[in-house]
Amino acid sequence: MNAIETSGLTKRFERKEDGKKKPFAAVDNVDLAVEEGELFGLLGPNGAGKTTIIKILCTLILPDSGKAFVNGYDVVKEPDKVRASIGWLHGETGGRALYWRLSARDNLRFYASLQNIHPDVAKKRIDALLEFFDMEEDADTLVKDFSTGMKVKVMLARTLLPNPPILLMDEPTVGLDAASAVETRKLLKALSTELGRTILFTSHNMFEVERLCERIAIMNSGKIIAVDTPLKLSEIMREKKAVEVRISETADPKTLGLLQSIEGVGKVIKAEIGEDSSLIQVEVRDEQEAIASIPDFLQGKGYNVISIQRALPTLEDVYMKLTREPA
Amino acid sequence: MSSSPIIELFKEETRRSKSTFRQVYAVIWANLKILLSYKYWVVTDFLSTAASIVMYFFMGLQVDPAQLAARGYGEDYAAFALVGISTSQYLWICLSRLSHSIQHDIRGGTLETVAVTQIKMGAYFLGQTVRGYLISLFFLAGTLSVGLFVLRIPLQINLSTLTAAFVTFLLMILSNQAIGFITAGIVMVHKRGDPVTFMLAGMNEFLSGVLYPLDLLKQFPPLYALARLFPYTYALDALRKTLTGGAGMFSPDVYYDLVVLVAFSVILLPIGLKVLKWGYDTIRRNGTMATY
Amino acid sequence: MKTKELIGFLRKEREDAKEAGVLEKVAAFVARDFKTWWTYKLWVTIDVLGTLTFVASYYFVSKIISPEILVEAGYGSDYLTFAVIGVAFQQYVFSSVSTLSESIRSEQWDGTMETILSSRTSFRVFLLGESVFRFIIGSYFLLAALALGAAIGVKITANPWSLLSAALVAALLVVSHMIVGILGAALILKVKQGDPIVWAFSWLTQLFSGVLYPLNLLPAQLSWIGAIFPLTYSLDGIRRCLMADATILSPIVAEDVVKLVVFIAASLPIALKAFRKAYDSTRKDGSLGQY
Repeated sequence: MNAIETSGLTKRFERKEDGKKKPFAAVDNVDLAVEEGELFGLLGPNGAGKTTIIKILCTLILPDSGKAFVNGYDVVKEPDKVRASIGWLHGETGGRALYWRLSARDNLRFYASLQNIHPDVAKKRIDALLEFFDMEEDADTLVKDFSTGMKVKVMLARTLLPNPPILLMDEPTVGLDAASAVETRKLLKALSTELGRTILFTSHNMFEVERLCERIAIMNSGKIIAVDTPLKLSEIMREKKAVEVRISETADPKTLGLLQSIEGVGKVIKAEIGEDSSLIQVEVRDEQEAIASIPDFLQGKGYNVISIQRALPTLEDVYMKLTREPA
Repeated sequence: MSSSPIIELFKEETRRSKSTFRQVYAVIWANLKILLSYKYWVVTDFLSTAASIVMYFFMGLQVDPAQLAARGYGEDYAAFALVGISTSQYLWICLSRLSHSIQHDIRGGTLETVAVTQIKMGAYFLGQTVRGYLISLFFLAGTLSVGLFVLRIPLQINLSTLTAAFVTFLLMILSNQAIGFITAGIVMVHKRGDPVTFMLAGMNEFLSGVLYPLDLLKQFPPLYALARLFPYTYALDALRKTLTGGAGMFSPDVYYDLVVLVAFSVILLPIGLKVLKWGYDTIRRNGTMATY
Repeated sequence: MKTKELIGFLRKEREDAKEAGVLEKVAAFVARDFKTWWTYKLWVTIDVLGTLTFVASYYFVSKIISPEILVEAGYGSDYLTFAVIGVAFQQYVFSSVSTLSESIRSEQWDGTMETILSSRTSFRVFLLGESVFRFIIGSYFLLAALALGAAIGVKITANPWSLLSAALVAALLVVSHMIVGILGAALILKVKQGDPIVWAFSWLTQLFSGVLYPLNLLPAQLSWIGAIFPLTYSLDGIRRCLMADATILSPIVAEDVVKLVVFIAASLPIALKAFRKAYDSTRKDGSLGQY
């Protein structure tokens, strides 16, 4: 069974254009399947429809047409069962979605009651989560006196508190300092690998998504335009084969020009020339062949080759290309 | 910061404890705590109601007692005003608080976070409503004590009048809460409820005769007719006939008021609940459960 | 416009730039406030309705009041006129003073106060600019209430000298309450909490300035409190002019005027100094834009 599944999911809103209300599809005929235990990333520019999808899955927004199932339950027909299966992280970076005039602990206690968690269990979990987020000392301070990062931590703790099988997280690490972001990512990874929790999250941080996710969907204008593993997405995107060479000194542009004289090597795509190292990307006919021939050539010219490998576009390159194309 | 304790803790099988009562209690508890963090507000709100009672106490010294007595309200304007001001303030706080806190939850994004939990929205709204009445009870008791014990305003207090007043009071809450549900439903959709409740409260106060006997309105039939559309008009009349006039529940005037209040409750409550549900469904469809 | 053109434009502008005077600056404040106010049309309507209901309420209250006490205090026998003048003026100063402190608070909250005071605008001009619109809009509601009252039986003198005298007392009332507003604003800057001050002002004046009843009704041990507030003298003067045909030459009104002038002369420097001090101290501890 897929943990999350949608088919033909569509949601239209009205938007004012030139003073007239026009309908537009925030989510447009989306088919999505996230397997149980998967860490799944949802990428896309602002307004692509990521948050709307997540809110439909949370039962907060009713879809116009199509189906959506979470943990096997229909989000429209069985909202209570869906809510018992999920933890949702509010994608509001200002930390607004908390009771600012309650302390961190009181906020968590309140939600624990609403989530039918037994008070004894709730106490243990709240203590553990507060400890994890280094917030024991501030646990009884009112949220209004917190920094943005601390508010995000309370929101994360609240999401994890019911220990649900499925986590829906809108930008989980925005607003966290670097160290907390690293730890939070580790926790998400562990939840997925060790406890088999399904995690669907949105992000603008390509690095995070690339490192963390097993699969990624890229959205634009309400549609899903690509779904695959980060590696596959990069490969699909590659229009021409290329290799990347790093040498330990300044490269002479003239020498770079000479690279083309090697059999099967095309033009230079990119050259980052530094004082004590340089990076060069060149088009090639066959990668294996070039990886064998280029170092010999460069060493023959007196350069010291540190590394040579297949050049893959980064996820960022993929993303920029896909989302710029008209959907 | 290590994730392993959490992973270990989350591995444990734990029993769930499903209890609507605990959920409603949590809503009341959290919102009470929030309110009490506005200490200034709590104090000044109470003091301003108390101050207005003192003010009308002095103003009442100019009132001709025969004018009140002729209408079955006793002879004391201060008592007349005390019942009017304390109960109208009570209702106003209750009704405005529900729509106000819903609005606050929508703007702050907390309505969404509550809505994704396992609480039934009915239980949530119930908690919010009960919370409003509990807090306002504190204001009501406070203002009544200022009137009774500081200003020594005479009220007719015996078993018969208290029973009648209590029944009237409950019916007043029921019938007005229906209006509160209607405004709360509208607030959710249009995001600006305060003006609606504000206007309703103002009209209520003016037309129901908080400061003057209602039948003075009779010289303007349209106003008098309008006044009779508000349940509070009947509740206030009954409360005064008992607490300042000394009538019992089965005296014809009071009995008539109570029957009208029952009718209002029976008609308005289902409508109120429908509008509330309509409001909640609409914002889920429009995706406007939160506005920042 | 490209960067080069913009730079050229700015250079030329700089050469023939003119300085804005105080009047232009205050006008800019008023225009800004009016535009903001106008976007709250619903609230404007509600305010108008509020005026309507309060005038109507006292119409009915006046029907059950016996006029002896009023006559004894020298205000004639018309309670409706007495109450409408009292409530209208009390509301007038209360709303002006409270909106001034509210707007200072929200300017501080939004950070716009820092922006304004970092421009070439002195804090005096800032204060004047902030208060002028409140009094303009307040005057509008005041006149509306009086006109509405006149339609349902409020009787106001037709004697031109009395009307003129009332206008003079009203002007003194405005100036004295701008000062109260500035004092409130200074306190808000310092303690970042406006409501209690405004609240105290509102309720103390309602209780002790004789808004709904003549002050001879209050027990002697309470009536002195009213003497602190300029509203008490203003109301007394305005009522005697409008209701009993007095002018500033009548001894009682003349006494009210002298007291108001003394209040203004004594409190204006204190208020400005207090604001200056509060302003400087918030700049020292860096809390000017704090919330």
